[in-house]
Amino acid sequence: MSADVITTLLHIGHQALFGAVAAVGFGVLFNIGPHSLIRCALLGALALSVRTLCQNAGWSLEGSTFVAALTTASAVYIGSPRRGQAPNALTIAGCIAMVPGAFFIEALIGFLSLTSLPPETAGPAIARSLTALLRVIFTLGALGAGLTIPAQLARHRGF
Amino acid sequence: MTVTSPPADTREPPHGHRAALADDAYHELEKITDTALAFGRVLMESGASVKVIEQGATLVVQGLGARPIGLRAGYASLTLTASAGGHRVTRMRPVGRHLVNHRLDRAVRHLAIDVAERGGDHAHVRAELDRLVAETPRYSPWLVALGTGSACAAFGKLLGMDVAAILPVLAAGTIGQLARHHLLHRGFNVFVVAAFVALLSATLGGLGAIAVHSATVALATVAATLLLVPGVPATNAQTDIMDGYPTVGSARAVWVAMLMIFASCGIWAAQALIAGLS
Repeated sequence: MSADVITTLLHIGHQALFGAVAAVGFGVLFNIGPHSLIRCALLGALALSVRTLCQNAGWSLEGSTFVAALTTASAVYIGSPRRGQAPNALTIAGCIAMVPGAFFIEALIGFLSLTSLPPETAGPAIARSLTALLRVIFTLGALGAGLTIPAQLARHRGF
Repeated sequence: MTVTSPPADTREPPHGHRAALADDAYHELEKITDTALAFGRVLMESGASVKVIEQGATLVVQGLGARPIGLRAGYASLTLTASAGGHRVTRMRPVGRHLVNHRLDRAVRHLAIDVAERGGDHAHVRAELDRLVAETPRYSPWLVALGTGSACAAFGKLLGMDVAAILPVLAAGTIGQLARHHLLHRGFNVFVVAAFVALLSATLGGLGAIAVHSATVALATVAATLLLVPGVPATNAQTDIMDGYPTVGSARAVWVAMLMIFASCGIWAAQALIAGLS
């Protein structure tokens, strides 16, 4: 096995491990039952693995997030064919590490800092903040679409 | 032997008696509508989308023997119209703070399905719902705080934070979640709490990262506050809009934006504080 493949696998393992930890942490916050927390961990690992694989293949963050959310939500709905399973909290806990909270904070703090910059030097700061904000909007859109499509196609329509 | 049945009583009941029967049927319908609205309220407060709330309330109305006419969901209230026996009732009820409680959400959905399949008496169904709200288990605040702190540390690692900053971020996230829990239980405004928790967690995470000589202090400062990211309302906003409920969806989106603005103010103040102290 080449060094590149090993590096890629290690990177995917790193992302999957911390995706799983984040999913379980938020699973406890969402009061997901102890047995379902194992499912949360697997979903968190799956989501981050798929996103990392897509990004390694040269896809954008937004496109990779859409595919990862779609895969994770599909796995949940295939595993919850009966009504009454409340699958939405499981899918969101699994994908929680892909919510672009850090970009949102970066964008808002960037806009806050604009007030103290002279207008002639504000250009790059505006560009950085706007880029971060657009990234938030498109990533959240991709995440929401990826999570909602399997619910719409499920026989029980997400109930 | 021939058994003859008594002649059918074809007399009209007296006017007062008819009015009393109609009154009973009307009150029965009111109780059914109230019970269905209580299901909708608990589902909404547990993090369900409007489609699920509508489905749950509809199942309960049908299971209790009435016909659902329509449900209108606002961010802070639910309105339901149902009909039965020639009567029609519209009731409106306020909804409390929107949280996420998967075990309660699931238990209430199961109860709604059970009512739809087996029917039942509204008083018994309402008592069962109240029992679920009171008795559905929850994790202890300490365990929730530790889980949330671990999630913050994991977020930090995914963002590229170094290993040295893991423990400070874990501790800062845990303390931030405990503070949020206690402040919200004391009735403080959710946005003010977000700003305060962001300030507290970011300051502790940043100063902790400096203390352990981390090379990623700025990332640690932000990662410690990621417990505030409202993932469920953000995705529910889109789900509601896609499902045809743009009013609630837009309200949820505005709530998410407001919360992030307050959290960012807290982080901004923390960054200024850390820069001043170091």
